[in-house]
Amino acid sequence: LIVHIEIDEDLCIGAGICESIAPDVFQVQEEKATLLLSTEITADNRDLMTQAVSRCPAAALRIEE
Amino acid sequence: MTVDSPTAGSRPYHRFNVSDYDFWNLDFRARDATFHQLRAEPGLSWQPPRESAFGYDEPGYWAVTRHEDIKHVSQNSELFTSAMGVAVDPTPMEIQRISTFFLTMDPPEHARYRRLISSAFTPKQVRLIESQIKVNAAAVVDDLLEALTGGDEINFISECAAKLPMRTVSDMIGNDSSEREKLSHAADALFSSSDDETVSFEDRAGYMMAQLDILTGSGIRLAQLRREEPREDLMTNIVNAEVDGQRLTDGDIGAFMVLLAAAGNDTTKQTTTHTLKALYDNPSQLQWLREDFDNRIDIAVEEFVRWSTPVIAFARHAKVDTEVAGTQIKAGEKLVLFYCSANRDEDVFDRPHQLDLSRSPNHHFGFGGGGVHFCLGSQLAKMQLRHLFHQLVTRLPDVEVGELSHVNNNMFHVAKFLPIQLA
Repeated sequence: LIVHIEIDEDLCIGAGICESIAPDVFQVQEEKATLLLSTEITADNRDLMTQAVSRCPAAALRIEE
Repeated sequence: MTVDSPTAGSRPYHRFNVSDYDFWNLDFRARDATFHQLRAEPGLSWQPPRESAFGYDEPGYWAVTRHEDIKHVSQNSELFTSAMGVAVDPTPMEIQRISTFFLTMDPPEHARYRRLISSAFTPKQVRLIESQIKVNAAAVVDDLLEALTGGDEINFISECAAKLPMRTVSDMIGNDSSEREKLSHAADALFSSSDDETVSFEDRAGYMMAQLDILTGSGIRLAQLRREEPREDLMTNIVNAEVDGQRLTDGDIGAFMVLLAAAGNDTTKQTTTHTLKALYDNPSQLQWLREDFDNRIDIAVEEFVRWSTPVIAFARHAKVDTEVAGTQIKAGEKLVLFYCSANRDEDVFDRPHQLDLSRSPNHHFGFGGGGVHFCLGSQLAKMQLRHLFHQLVTRLPDVEVGELSHVNNNMFHVAKFLPIQLA
């Protein structure tokens, strides 16, 4: 099973919380929205993604099943 | 008081008054007895305006005390603006603008300014200065241990808590050590200016302006130096940056320096102080952390910040007629977000008045309620706390930590004195 993660680049403020939760998936960039290093996440990482989504201060992240 | 008291306008003030100067003489725990009651009441409470040192009138404000409601206001900047000010006490916008930089901006302007400096605070950039922070943390604790060896009682705040964040911020921006001391002193004075013991109410506005002048002046001078001779530091980036094709004004740069000296410095200092006190009040928690520091510190740091709540409150204003928790808010009315109350909200935190370093999840609002104004320096703050407490937890000998005294301040959780001496 794979989940899909999306980032709204207009909302992203680069706070870097997602990167601190899952550095393999998120990378904050200078003067731009956070980069998704991979968008397809295996289900064992689902908990981490849920955390990243719920803790994003700008509500810029979304999970799609 | 058990009945609502009348106001000049038609709306009565709530019977629980959190604007009163004496209320803020109580300590954090005692104040939360009132916030606890406000959280349990339906809707929001309408509060009398605080007395303004600047002779500036306001009709009052809505106190937002529940975690859920603070989140709603923080994360909907299209409904709740920061551009009409974020200060809790009635303060003219000119003064707020020279002291807050992009804190008093809304999207999209806010994002254009924030981006100029946010790149210096990303997790990756913060990791680049980690080794320096580590060295500085060790040096700060070396000095503390040295100061303790005399056996006398010393002030943990000036001898330790104040040192690391000011050093970190100065290293980043490119200030030397003499300038660092001056900024540190002015920031201290600014954060204590709310207390009658520091300065009388009549002299308060002038005293605050004098500190702001020192901070903005320092920023403007450093900017001039970097224009003439660029270096590898944040100020050089700032003077070279453009927003909409325009360089930043001296006013912007001055306000940025105030923000760094205040938000970037004082908050981490307060958190360090309140945390040390809490750890020595809760020896089993300290022991738990000590047993497996490396694996426990990341989760513990979140509790340090929840517990300390260095920023007590910030304000917003409604942009349109709207509703919060069933209360009708009119366009232009002020709302004060009491992060101190959200961080003790029993609907979110189990046993909120207990220090629990293993608390997880820990959705505290120590860095704000989320949204575009979420603390830019959160990664940097947490890294400093990790390294400083590593030093303190592993190296501090048996000490006695005394009673903490605090400054009367309704926006920042400012500690004045924390005695510490060898046991």
